[in-house]
Amino acid sequence: MITPEFKASILKELRLDDYEIKDETLANQIPGWDSINHINVISAIEKDFSVRFKSIEILKCKNIGDLQNLLTSKLAKK
Amino acid sequence: MEARNIWDLWSKHSRTTPDKDAIVVWKAGEEPFRWSFSSIVSQAERYTLHLKKAGIKKGEVVAIIIRHNKEFFPLYMGIVGLGAIPAVLAYPNPRLHPDKFRQGIIGMSHRSGLDWIMTEREIHPILTPLISEGTVKGVHFPLEFPLQEQFSDEEVKLVREKRGAVTPDEPMLLQHSSGTTGLQKPVLLSHGAIVRHADYYGKSIQVTEEDKVVSWLPLYHDMGLIAAFHMPLAFGITSIQIDPFEWVLAPVLLFEALSQEKATLVWLPNFAYNLMADKIHEEEFEGLRLDSLRMVINCSEPVRYQSHERFSNHFKAYGFREEALATCYAMAETTYAVTQSEPGKVPAVVFTDREKLGKGVLLYTDSPESARVCVSSGKVIEGCRVEIVDEEKKPLGENLIGEIAIQSVSMFDGYRNYPEKTAEVLKDGWYYSGDFGFMKDGECYVIGRKKDIIIVAGKNIYPEDVEDTLNKVQGLLPGRVIAFGADDTEVGTEVLCVIVESEATTPKEKADLRVKILENALANDQSISRIYIVPPRWLIKSSAGKPSRKHNKERILESNEYLMA
Repeated sequence: MITPEFKASILKELRLDDYEIKDETLANQIPGWDSINHINVISAIEKDFSVRFKSIEILKCKNIGDLQNLLTSKLAKK
Repeated sequence: MEARNIWDLWSKHSRTTPDKDAIVVWKAGEEPFRWSFSSIVSQAERYTLHLKKAGIKKGEVVAIIIRHNKEFFPLYMGIVGLGAIPAVLAYPNPRLHPDKFRQGIIGMSHRSGLDWIMTEREIHPILTPLISEGTVKGVHFPLEFPLQEQFSDEEVKLVREKRGAVTPDEPMLLQHSSGTTGLQKPVLLSHGAIVRHADYYGKSIQVTEEDKVVSWLPLYHDMGLIAAFHMPLAFGITSIQIDPFEWVLAPVLLFEALSQEKATLVWLPNFAYNLMADKIHEEEFEGLRLDSLRMVINCSEPVRYQSHERFSNHFKAYGFREEALATCYAMAETTYAVTQSEPGKVPAVVFTDREKLGKGVLLYTDSPESARVCVSSGKVIEGCRVEIVDEEKKPLGENLIGEIAIQSVSMFDGYRNYPEKTAEVLKDGWYYSGDFGFMKDGECYVIGRKKDIIIVAGKNIYPEDVEDTLNKVQGLLPGRVIAFGADDTEVGTEVLCVIVESEATTPKEKADLRVKILENALANDQSISRIYIVPPRWLIKSSAGKPSRKHNKERILESNEYLMA
């Protein structure tokens, strides 16, 4: 389940007013989330939630739902 | 290397070092897959038999459009084993509109004469119309071939006999020189060119049996295909291959593979030095070491001294040695390398007067403020000759700027189906590169592209210099700047124009940015007449991933938008 805070963090970085993001949404389906911007989006989420992702953790995420779950697990460990 | 064709070498390694790793296919989070020399050659032969059964014939061009997959490597070799000509093409980016991808392939098929396409079922619907529109006879899905199928002894014998009869002058592969898809020049290389190049280039970097190459480079690029795949395979050394898409998302993968496999050789384009020094978190480096590296070879775009410095300073804490920094000057037309810096020695640098350089005059200086630091691309490798020539193609000698002309024993056989373009660049055995540079103490310094040079009121301006300057301006997206010259009929000369990608949106943000750009340019004696501020991802990239000056210039001049000054 995508939380409003997580969604807001992504939209802010991509300068989107709104865009539907579901668990099964793929990163490259979101306008602006390309290979160049990828590192910036991840950095923005890290900054907004004060967490740090490892590259391998990111690579294992098949969709935005996986990334949300990864974030949730990081926040739970804090 | 005494070999009639490239297969002779592969075959030899499968007999002499059958269990040695040939290709290690690296996938993040998974145990790497290891092809030994004997297993990859056996698998390649299976592909040859299946390709033959599918009706593919000797001399036909077989395009491969497949994502990072362990089967790519024996498939490629299997095509060579049949005497057909592999051409590796980029798999479409999910963002690329299918029509655009298809148009690119159609353009390429007409130019290159693609006969067959080996691909994945997923993009079949995009490629199928090609069969009626282009030269393509059929599309196959080699990842679905029933490779366990047995062939008769007679069929196997026939394939081996035909393979053995391939002579050095027969075509071996088709690679596309950098350019926008569909407009790239198809470079045809013979078996002899590849074998000779592997031999001479290997000597120049002092390859030993202990060396291991690690690479994330796409195989449709000459650096990935020749330096990181063909060269190690020809020498019988291991090549560790990383998925380029995974590397973009996680650049640390290169160092993970390198550290675990104790790789010794890496080729990188200049931008990767900056990216890795800036974007990899320190904690991700835990347990990783770079001590095994003996050469990190900077090639394929102008070498920036600052990039080397940044990379070296950032990674020395992890065992990186400065003397592992290396440079190379290469191009698809000569198979790959022309010059190479000496192993174990930091490439030479010279400080040249930027202003004089702009006028085509080489003046060495001690003053760093007014200098452009030029990094040597090394000495000419065995089997090649380099001359710096003037506009009449007369040799200039050392310490003078001119076009770099090359002779090579591994020269291409011309652009396929493009005799007029071949005649433009290949004359009396010399290849005129279109690159500008100079020689000093036997070392080659490449400073820009001839055709990109902007001549403003008689003064030569290298767009790379302007782009370098603007890349330091805060508020611009690094590496997303291009400079070009445009005719100004009012003034009667070319004017210097730049297109910059920026996230600036409001008029005030854009106006502030414009002032910053002009200030920085003026501080470097660059007078910019027109500034176009465009949004992120506006710039069109060539297949090599670099913003294309030519295509972006055409696009911006047609658009009448974004002009700021």
